[in-house]
Formats: sequence, C-alpha cells, structure tokens
Amino acid sequence: MHIPDGYLSPATCATLFAAATPFWYVAGQRIKKTLNMRMVPLLSVFAAFSFIIMMFNLPLPGGTTGHATGVAIAAIVLGPWGSMIAVSVALVIQAVFFGDGGILAIGANCFNMAIVGSLVAHWVYQGIAGKSPLIASRRVIAAALAGYLSINVAAFITAVEFGIQPLLFTDAAGTPLYAPYGLNIAIPAMMAGHLTIAGLAELIVTAGVVAYLQRNDVALLAFNAPVATSTSNVGGWNGSRRLWLIIAALMVLTPLGLLAAGTAWGEWSATDLVSGTGTTPTLAQAPTGLARLADIWSAPLADYNLPFVANEQFGYILSAMVGIGTIILVFVLVGIISERLRKRNSAT
Amino acid sequence: MGGEAHHGKKRGNFVQRTIDALAEAMERSLYAEQLASSRGILQNLDPRIKLIGTLLLIATAASAHTITVVIALAVVTFGLALLSRISLRTLSPIWIGMFVFSGMIGLPALFLVPGPILATIPWLGWHISATGLRSAAFLILRSEISITLSFIMITTTLWTHVLKSLRSFGIPTLIVVILSMTYRYIFLMLQSASDMFEARQSRVIGKLPDNEARRLAAATVGVLLSKSFQLSNDVFMAMQSRGFRGEVYILDEFTLRRNDYIAIPVILLICGVGFWFNYITA
Amino acid sequence: MDAVFTVQNVNYAYSTTSDLALNDISLTITQGSRVAIMGANGSGKSTLLRILDGLYFPQSGSVTAFDHPLDEAHLMDEAYAHAFRRRVAFVFQNPDVQLFNPTVFDEVAFGPLQLRWDKPTIIKKVAETLDLLEISHLRDRAPHRLSGGEKKRVAIASVLVLDPEVILLDEPTAALDPKSQSRVVDFLVDWGAGKKTVVVATHDLDTVPDIADDAYIFKQGKIVAHDTPRNLLANHQLLLDANLVHAHHHYHDDGKPHSHPHLHFGHAHDHQ
Repeated sequence: MHIPDGYLSPATCATLFAAATPFWYVAGQRIKKTLNMRMVPLLSVFAAFSFIIMMFNLPLPGGTTGHATGVAIAAIVLGPWGSMIAVSVALVIQAVFFGDGGILAIGANCFNMAIVGSLVAHWVYQGIAGKSPLIASRRVIAAALAGYLSINVAAFITAVEFGIQPLLFTDAAGTPLYAPYGLNIAIPAMMAGHLTIAGLAELIVTAGVVAYLQRNDVALLAFNAPVATSTSNVGGWNGSRRLWLIIAALMVLTPLGLLAAGTAWGEWSATDLVSGTGTTPTLAQAPTGLARLADIWSAPLADYNLPFVANEQFGYILSAMVGIGTIILVFVLVGIISERLRKRNSAT
Repeated sequence: MGGEAHHGKKRGNFVQRTIDALAEAMERSLYAEQLASSRGILQNLDPRIKLIGTLLLIATAASAHTITVVIALAVVTFGLALLSRISLRTLSPIWIGMFVFSGMIGLPALFLVPGPILATIPWLGWHISATGLRSAAFLILRSEISITLSFIMITTTLWTHVLKSLRSFGIPTLIVVILSMTYRYIFLMLQSASDMFEARQSRVIGKLPDNEARRLAAATVGVLLSKSFQLSNDVFMAMQSRGFRGEVYILDEFTLRRNDYIAIPVILLICGVGFWFNYITA
Repeated sequence: MDAVFTVQNVNYAYSTTSDLALNDISLTITQGSRVAIMGANGSGKSTLLRILDGLYFPQSGSVTAFDHPLDEAHLMDEAYAHAFRRRVAFVFQNPDVQLFNPTVFDEVAFGPLQLRWDKPTIIKKVAETLDLLEISHLRDRAPHRLSGGEKKRVAIASVLVLDPEVILLDEPTAALDPKSQSRVVDFLVDWGAGKKTVVVATHDLDTVPDIADDAYIFKQGKIVAHDTPRNLLANHQLLLDANLVHAHHHYHDDGKPHSHPHLHFGHAHDHQ
C-alpha cells in the first residue's frame, strides 16, 4: 500500500502533504508535552521498530502471505500522536532508502497510513477496550479490530486518492496521466486485497502482540492506557477541537484545490471518460463480486445531476468528499462517544 | 542431516523468508555505504545539490503530460545511473521489480481506458486503446524514473550527508536527529530480529505449521517491542549522561565545489525544458 | 582527601512491587581513588553507577557529588547539570546504547555540542581525543559498523572528550576479545595519573587488581565486603558466596575428581 511516484499527481501529493502537516505539528507539540526529553530516543527506537515490522512475512490462512504495517501496534502502545510520528519516520526511511513508496508520495503515504491509520487504530482500540483490565481478553479483540479497521480505512482513502486521478488529470486526448482507474475500479480493487489478506495480516499481528504483552510485558500496555491517561490528559475532545476545525477546513478545501489544479492542467473531456464503449466488455471479465461492488460505488455517481455541476467531474469530486467526510464524521463520533464514556467512567 | 534439505527450501518457509528479507536490507545499506564513499562524478557532488536535483527531476517527470518528455527524462535518468557507477546487477532487480508492480497495475488500463482503438486481441475481442497504452506507459515510466533517481541519490551520498543537507534546507534539527537515530537503530533491531529467527530456525526441522508461524511472528514482534522500550530508556540515559536536555545540537558545514557550479545549471536546464514542454503542448 | 561522592543509606527499587535493587547503601568515593564494585548480575552495581551519574534517583537516602546534593531538582538547573555532566562521565556496558550518532566524529562531538562549546574548540578537542584512543582512522565511519573493541574505544572517547574528573564504567571489559580487554585495562591504568577518579562495576575479577586500589563486593543490593582488591580476591569463600566465582569441578591425571573455586584469570569470559 506504499504508493510509488507516478500514481498520484504532484497536486494531489502536495495537497496530502499539506493535509498531514497540521497533524505532525499537533503530534509534535503533544509529545513534547507528555514525553518531554524522552521524545527523541523513544520515537527513534519505535520508528525503527515499525520499520522492522513491515519486513515480517507471515503466512495467512488460505496459503497466501502478507505483511503487517504495525501501525495499530504503535498506536496502541504509544498513543495516536506518538504513533503518527514514529510511523511517518519509518515511511520516510523506507521511501528514501529502500524505494518502498515514492518520494513525492511521502506526504500521501504518511497521511494514509501514519495519520489516518493511527487515529482509527487508537479510537477503535480505546473505544472497545474501555477501562477493562490490561490483561482482559477484550483488549485482544479490541486490538484485532483496531488492526483490521485501521489498515482498511487507510486502504480506502488510498483508493479514493487513486480513483479521483483520472477525473482530474488527463491530457488533451483523454489519456489519464496518473493512476488510470476511476473510483468504480480503484475502490473495489484496493479493498478486495485489504479486506482479506492485508487486513488479516494486520489483525493477526496486532492481536498476537497484545496477547503476548499481556503475558510478558503488561507495563507496555499501560503506557497509553486510559486508566493512566485519565489524570494527566484532560485535553481529549476539547484539546483537539482546533485540529478538527483544521480538518473540516481541509475537507472542504482539498477537493477544491484538486479541482483548481486539475482544470488548469489539461483539457477535460467528460465524454471521453464516460463513453464506455471500450470498457464494457472488459469489466464483464472481472469477477462478478467485484463488478457488483463496482456498481454500488458508481451508482450514486451515474445519475448525479445537479444544475450547478457542468460536468461529471464535479460529481466525482463531491462523492470523494462525501466519502472522506463520512469517514471523518465516523471518527469524530467515535471520538466523542469514547470521550463521554471515559468521562462517565472516571466520574463514578 | 534430514533437516538440511528443508532449510534450503524458501517457498512457504516463513522464518527463512523473513531472515532473507532482513539480511537483504542490511546488505543493501552496506552496499550503499561503500558506493557512497567511492570516487565518481556523482559521489563528488554536494549532497544538497543531489537532494534538490533528485527532487526537481522527479517532480518534472511527475508534472510532464506528454509522453515524449517522460521518455526523455527516462533517458536522462538512465544516463545518470551509468554515471553513478552502480552496477546494472544492482539496478536491474529494482527496475524489474517496479516494472512488474506497475505493469500489473497498468496492464488493465490498456483495455479499460476508453479511446481510439489501436489493436484488438484476437479470440478475446478486447480492444487496446491508444490512450490506455499511453497511460500505462506514463505509470510505468514515472515510477521507474522516481525509484531510479532516489536510488542513485541514496547510493552515491553518505546517509550522514543526506541528513546534514536536510538541516541546511531548514528541516528542524529534532526531525533530523530522529531520522538519524531511527536509521541507526534499524540495524540493531534487524540484527536482533534476525538472531531470534535464526535461533528458532536452528531448532525447527522442516516447515513450521502456519498457526505456529503466526504465533512465532507475534511473539517476535512482542519481544522486539519490549526490547525497543528498554533500548529507548537506555539510550535516553546515555544521551542525558552526555549533557542532553531535550534540545539537540549538531555541527554542519558544507562548501560548494567546481562540479557543483556545473551541476546546478544542468539540472535546472533539464527541469526547465521539461516544464516548458508542458506549457507549449497544453 | 576530598570526597567526590558521598552515598548515605540509599534505597532504590525499580518499581513499587519489585525487590530493592539497592538496600541501605552507604559509601564514600574520594578524589583520585580507583574503586571496583564487584558483584554478580543483579547485585545492584549497575544501579549504583546510574545513581552516581544522576540518571536514577534513590527513593530514600542521600547522594552528594562534589559537596552538592545530587538530585532531580538540582539537575533541572541547566548550569548545575552542565557542570555535573562535564565532570562525571559514564561508559555504558552496551556500546550500542551509547553510540547513537551517524559517525564516530559526531559521536565524540555530541557531548561538547550539548554543553554548547564553541565550534573550533569542539573540532580540536574531538581530534585530540580520537588520537588519544587511536581511533582517528575511524572518524567518518558509522559506529554501528565497528567491531566490539572499536565500539568500546569510541564509547570511551565520547565521554573523555569532555575531560571529566570522574569516569564511571559499567562492565568495561565484558564481551571483548582478550586484546581489546587488555587495551581497555591499560588505558584505565594510565588515565589521569592519579588525579582522576575511576569507578568500575565489574564481575571480571582478573582485571580488578590492575585497575582498582579499593574494592566493594555487592550481593543482592547490599555491600558484603569492602577492602583492597588483593585481600578480597584472596577470600575464596567470600567470592563463592557472592556468586563471583563458581566451584570448578574437573579430573586430574590420576583420575580423582577435584573441586576448587574458579577464578577467570587470563582469559575472556562473559557470564550471562
């Protein structure tokens, strides 16, 4: 899922880099406050750890193999902010040193995996684990789901980024300049692999590690447990409100920025893309399950027809925005609910 | 010994495959360090120029929207690869790997992207479109250019110099120090991960059942996690003991040489021409 | 003689639930003395060194360094911390922990940079220190690529560059080949010409008479003996009790079994 260069337009890369920046900033500030002087060695060593985890190949049921990203483990042990930085550093070294993921795409990869992945993993884990004892089996289930969902949400966002490329960036003849497939292909293709193999790998490793730590090194699980943070961390929702405002602004601005960049780029010809003469026979070759999924995703877009939308392009962008927006909304809701629960628990 | 034959078998052996992956990472960085300290035209350039040049060339390739510009940049990249003294035996796996990856993703585009029909595959009746072919070429060439350029940069530049260049571009010291320490501790942890797997390997005869392999992987990750925590505490004390108080101070100094003054206009010219083509063909 | 460190009734535990790592320890280390802290793994000798270096702080009891209290509050003060860090150096047992910089030069320059020395002084002092330890040729190498002996010398250089008055060493000869071991020992014997203070925690008994003139034996967080190294090493029963030696059981030519305490003189040995 490390996006190489050439798959996303420079405008998309720049936008995602810009989107990642406020998270890095807030993460840096928070970690400085909580870890103080320990920040440098702790994050360095954990970044090295995340790097190593991505090299483990593990066998999955059904004869395939997959590797986990370790994002959920980092988020569970370090908390979302520490995890964001540690995983970002690991991704930078992977891109620069080992060619895993593009150089221009560093911002995109960090946004998808390090930032969104860490937040999803953190909320899912804390939401399900609640105030259960550190050795409760509930925490293993929470970890499993955190691993599975975080990697899949990250994959979904990546797929959306891929899927909007052909709508925004084509040359005069209608040639897609970057990832060539629309949302109707990109999303099912990406999710098929992640809902199964990659998701499973992450699930197994995350749950396995939490189970291992419960038996052998519980202190590590306590490092970021709400029981421990309830006294020191009063921030919660209020503390991050500013960040959410930034996200909301980004949510609105991102697609607009993409649009501006896209129209400036090439002559857009909507008819080229929609005239499906060449595609219909080949799509039928795809597995029926995929085709059905593809239908679901393209359905709301097909008859998208608002008076102010001149071409289909806007429809796609809006749908991408709605997609991203929905995810963020879910995050926010989960965040608020878990915060409420935590407060109620700590009040009693 | 009966077990010996099984050890050689890589397929399906998760422990061996992971050991191989870890060893490869170590070898590759060692090779990079050796090559970076050897003499050559690219090795002698100022690291800051290489870093900016790499970034500019990749950005030019990414921004180009005529295939000719991308092909021209691919030729330039190939020329740089020859100049870099990196052996083709080292480069070819990288090229092939990326070709297979991008090819697999780009291939369906030949049929899926609508446009003027170039050819039709007999029997299947699938149409290859000119636009589809071009878009696949864009994808493959761009990803190859980028990975080659970044590989050339990192193998002809000492990692410490890359870090110091980052400093001179205004990247905060804190980030540079974290990057450098991460890189350094990756090796320590590669070694301990490798040792753990090898210790396990020596006790296993034949293939590990899948569920055992998964448990082993999770346990190894767990052990590494505990070790990381311990390690970070110890490193923190070692830093404190030498006066570290949260802020890091480092030394950096670079001077431009004659080659650098030649390299700057060359890079700017290549990128300028690339962008100019975008403009006139738009 | 002036006291460099005065430790009084110190107790230290790693967590509220664990046993005491140090149990009512009192000792004084005078200026210019060379002290060996001997003990098996887990005897508390490493913990003591870390307390002397202001890295751990005792739960009860007091530590003074150079006639000032050594505690967390004092070390928060930058001027105090800088002065203390310059005067007291610590060589960790595991060089991988201590060597975290990208090159040997950066490693040795790290301490002076944190203490905000000016650049020309740093460059000059680093070059001198590399010369002193005969590692100038390693200047631009990555520390993690060096051999065990080279790593140890870089680790020593990285603290000596500050020109400390006291050097604390945790198992300086552990896991080294015999040649590197004797290099480290020779260096310690020569260093400071009787003015500098050396505190070595070790279970490598054969080096102790060379590097120390005063010695303690620790067992389970307590001091069980304090004497000259010669006297302590002559007391086999004491060494056996402190798990510093193990009974050596072997057969002589006549076929009769024979047991005696085993001292590891003359060869490298790492007890783990």
